[in-house]
Amino acid sequence: MIKCKTSKEISGMGHSMKRKEDARFLKGKGNYVDDIKLPGMLHMDIVRSPYAYAKIVKINAEEALKIPGVIAVVTGKDLEQYNLHWMPTLMSDTQMVLPTDTVMYQAQEVAAVIATDRYAARDGKEAVMVEYEPMKPLMDPKKSMDEDAPLLRPDKEGQTNNHIWHWEAGDREATEKVFNEADVVVKEHMHIPRIHVASIETCGCVADYDKVENHLTMYMTTQAPHAIRTVIALVAGHVGLTEEKVRVISPDIGGGFGGKVPVYPGYVIAIAVSFLVGKPIKWVEDRSENLQADSFARDYHIDAEMAADKNGKILATRFKVLADHGYTDASANPSKFPTGLFSIGTGSYDYGTAFMEADAVYTNKPPGGVAYRCSFRVTEAVHAIERMTDRLALEIGKDPAQLRFENFIKKDQFPWKSPTGWEYDSGDYHAGLELAMKAIDYEGLRKEQVEKRANGEMMGIGISTFTEIVGAGPSKDFDILGIKMFDSAEIRVHPTGKAIARFGTKSQGQGHETTYAQIIAEELGIPAEHIQIEEGDTDTAPYGLGTYASRSTPTAGAAAAMAARKLRDKAKKIAAHLLEVSEDDLEWEPGKFSVKGAPEKSKTIQEIVFASYTNHPQGMEAGFEATHYYDPPNLTFPSGAYICVVDIDKETCEIKVRRFVAIDDCGNIINPMIVQGQVHGGLTQGIAPAMYEELIYDEAGNILNGTFMDYLVPTAVESPKWETGHTVTPSPHHPIGAKGVGESPTVGAPPAIANAIVDALSVHGVTHMEIPITPFKVWKELQKRGVFDKE
Amino acid sequence: MTTTITRSFQAEESIDHVWSNISNPERLVTCLPGAQLTETVDEKNFKGEVVMKFGPVKAKYNGLITFEELNAETKQMKMIGKGLDSKGKGSADMVMNCNLTEKDGGTSVDYTINITITGMLAQFGARLITDVTNSVFDEFTANFKAKLKGEEVDNSMSAGKMMGTVVKSMFGGGKKKEDATPPPPPKSDTTT
Repeated sequence: MIKCKTSKEISGMGHSMKRKEDARFLKGKGNYVDDIKLPGMLHMDIVRSPYAYAKIVKINAEEALKIPGVIAVVTGKDLEQYNLHWMPTLMSDTQMVLPTDTVMYQAQEVAAVIATDRYAARDGKEAVMVEYEPMKPLMDPKKSMDEDAPLLRPDKEGQTNNHIWHWEAGDREATEKVFNEADVVVKEHMHIPRIHVASIETCGCVADYDKVENHLTMYMTTQAPHAIRTVIALVAGHVGLTEEKVRVISPDIGGGFGGKVPVYPGYVIAIAVSFLVGKPIKWVEDRSENLQADSFARDYHIDAEMAADKNGKILATRFKVLADHGYTDASANPSKFPTGLFSIGTGSYDYGTAFMEADAVYTNKPPGGVAYRCSFRVTEAVHAIERMTDRLALEIGKDPAQLRFENFIKKDQFPWKSPTGWEYDSGDYHAGLELAMKAIDYEGLRKEQVEKRANGEMMGIGISTFTEIVGAGPSKDFDILGIKMFDSAEIRVHPTGKAIARFGTKSQGQGHETTYAQIIAEELGIPAEHIQIEEGDTDTAPYGLGTYASRSTPTAGAAAAMAARKLRDKAKKIAAHLLEVSEDDLEWEPGKFSVKGAPEKSKTIQEIVFASYTNHPQGMEAGFEATHYYDPPNLTFPSGAYICVVDIDKETCEIKVRRFVAIDDCGNIINPMIVQGQVHGGLTQGIAPAMYEELIYDEAGNILNGTFMDYLVPTAVESPKWETGHTVTPSPHHPIGAKGVGESPTVGAPPAIANAIVDALSVHGVTHMEIPITPFKVWKELQKRGVFDKE
Repeated sequence: MTTTITRSFQAEESIDHVWSNISNPERLVTCLPGAQLTETVDEKNFKGEVVMKFGPVKAKYNGLITFEELNAETKQMKMIGKGLDSKGKGSADMVMNCNLTEKDGGTSVDYTINITITGMLAQFGARLITDVTNSVFDEFTANFKAKLKGEEVDNSMSAGKMMGTVVKSMFGGGKKKEDATPPPPPKSDTTT
């Protein structure tokens, strides 16, 4: 049970306050990009390439322009005149806005049709004739570095092959030594497949350029409005759109999950066209465009190895990654971290030696590498370490829970320095796994498994005890395009004691309007109900790097607490003035200052705020406002212990997740109900890559599942009953001890499921299965092993 | 994506009669559902078009048909078709290898077809392409047999016809040629 310091009326931290934003969502009053309609607004649709790799011979817009309502067809050649045909990616690579001569992936933008309504724009798109000269695409990243591979990026000066970057962490020599001398070495190759965030709302924008004021208002689906404004100013500053002339508004967003961090060509084309014609331009993707062309996540090919002594004490790990980035590296990682925070992959275990390296290559696939609910590649890392931990347990014949207990970093070893350089802030891994095992009756399940196996039935139990790394990040290491990854809060309390607070982050469903209000309520004692939260308008909100990678609570949440504390300090001065006592004689309880030993002499926060406008001490600044830019001293390290039970039908190989227990530790909890909701959503997005989702391309570069008919997003039907719980190990350095939770379940769930399935199949000699593990894959594996022949 | 189809059938007619049909582009092409010749370039090269239409996807391919091999002695034929979507939405390439042998007083016709489809049809119809192609060539075989007998052949392509065949074949029916009753039209939700 969470202890709350505040009353339900105040609803500070720990209260399951109902979400303030839900009324408008439930009543259809949300305001999304596609709801925005401006006078004279034109519509844009995008012609896309049917080929993965082709020369553009000719674009003929003649027929399209004959369609009533079609106003213009914009091509790369048109943008080239303004030097807007290329743009930088967040990883300082370059990406085409519209191609002038070559297309690099199927569904790439080729031309834009501008029309008076959306239907005419779509008809126009169908009528644009493009003549291509197809070339053989490079689809397999393993062939990217072959001698005969085509050079995909001759446009980049000095680029002589398809290699993008090399990255490494840890100690190569020391790791090799440990591996050479270890009793046991286990290895597996694993592919963490390319998947898509598939948010309910696709991407879109309304670009509204005012020629008279030379001012652009950009309504867009972005998780990072301030960063986008800066990027627009950097890209279009040379045509007069300097940063003060750009206002980015991110209205309600129907799911982001990382997919709404990058700048997509559609946004830039809309801006360019609005700039040229002086009218608002709306562009909204359809579902297939979103699925086929927007940034993907994952696509790491990992060779994972683990060394241990004969008792199962982990001694070292070694991961070698091949990263398929498509035709440009358009990830949204901090500059110094091309693999994101992959180096968290040493996991929750106490050993001192590790080495990781990664090479990124170009292929003819859509660009990206976004943090799909995975805090920068943590999903890939956790999958590798958690699969290998089970692999080791299988190898030496030890129970995987026991093996974990024997290897966990102990509670008193924190802060713990990892072999790849991180300092884990806090954790209690033993407590988490113990609680999960108790909740699911681990011992009982193992007994049942023995009986089931005797009957030839396939039942598996899988564990994942992961460490997350979120809250990017400390400015000494973390920046995007040079901008440090702090975040901000500005609180303004009105004379009557009600407040508005603005943030540099942007909720996409996380519930910021509620949780931020609760943090401020906790610190100031103003009821959360009375605190209005506003985000997403760069003209009003303080600068921040946005919401992704579970960074909002660790950064902006901390900023809210710090700004509120500045106000509480001011409140104390005013209270001392009003009560005519020294500040040292005052004591605080949520909502009021009272005189020590004389509790009847007190001033509520509302009285104090009113005084700050009506009767503030002479010499003190009037009003009640504070701003804080929070630069975290370290990242936060949430953790979790997940246990999953699966039953596999021995004839159809259908996989049924019978039970799934998730114990999360995200430090102090702001709103338990919201955390639970986040965990449920995250777990469902964890079962997705484990069992269903993968973007599949054929050799010719066709995406074979570019619609929801073929790309399987799990629904309530596929979701098991999630059983959740938590342990609380506060972050010692975070102002409110919170750590962030949004992504933990997506990170932790896939290996738990994969481990359970492999555990079930291990009786037939299976040691590893590549995700997504489908019934057909299981059937093929068992068929290969002659399992069906025996029966 | 590439689909390979291998078919064999027995024709009652003599090998020379079958060969005269299979080596005649005018007669061969008009057996393929939705296909027609538009221009004779020279004796080995022809221009033509194929309409593919099922569910939400309609594609018209303009292409060049080339007889790479026409060996009247060995009765071997190799035909290559290269089609570009008329609206630049993709391409379809086909290689057909066919050979005839005398058998049981008639002719055994064996052919293999490799079809590679790129672009919109592959993107949206990948799941259906094997089924569609199979039914297209079931129909091609039936049309060709009829043509050998001197019957008139209707190789026009309609959405209902195509989709119906595919839907049936997905549910295990429709493989039989005699089952020609058109199915109910597809539900509207499959076309959006």
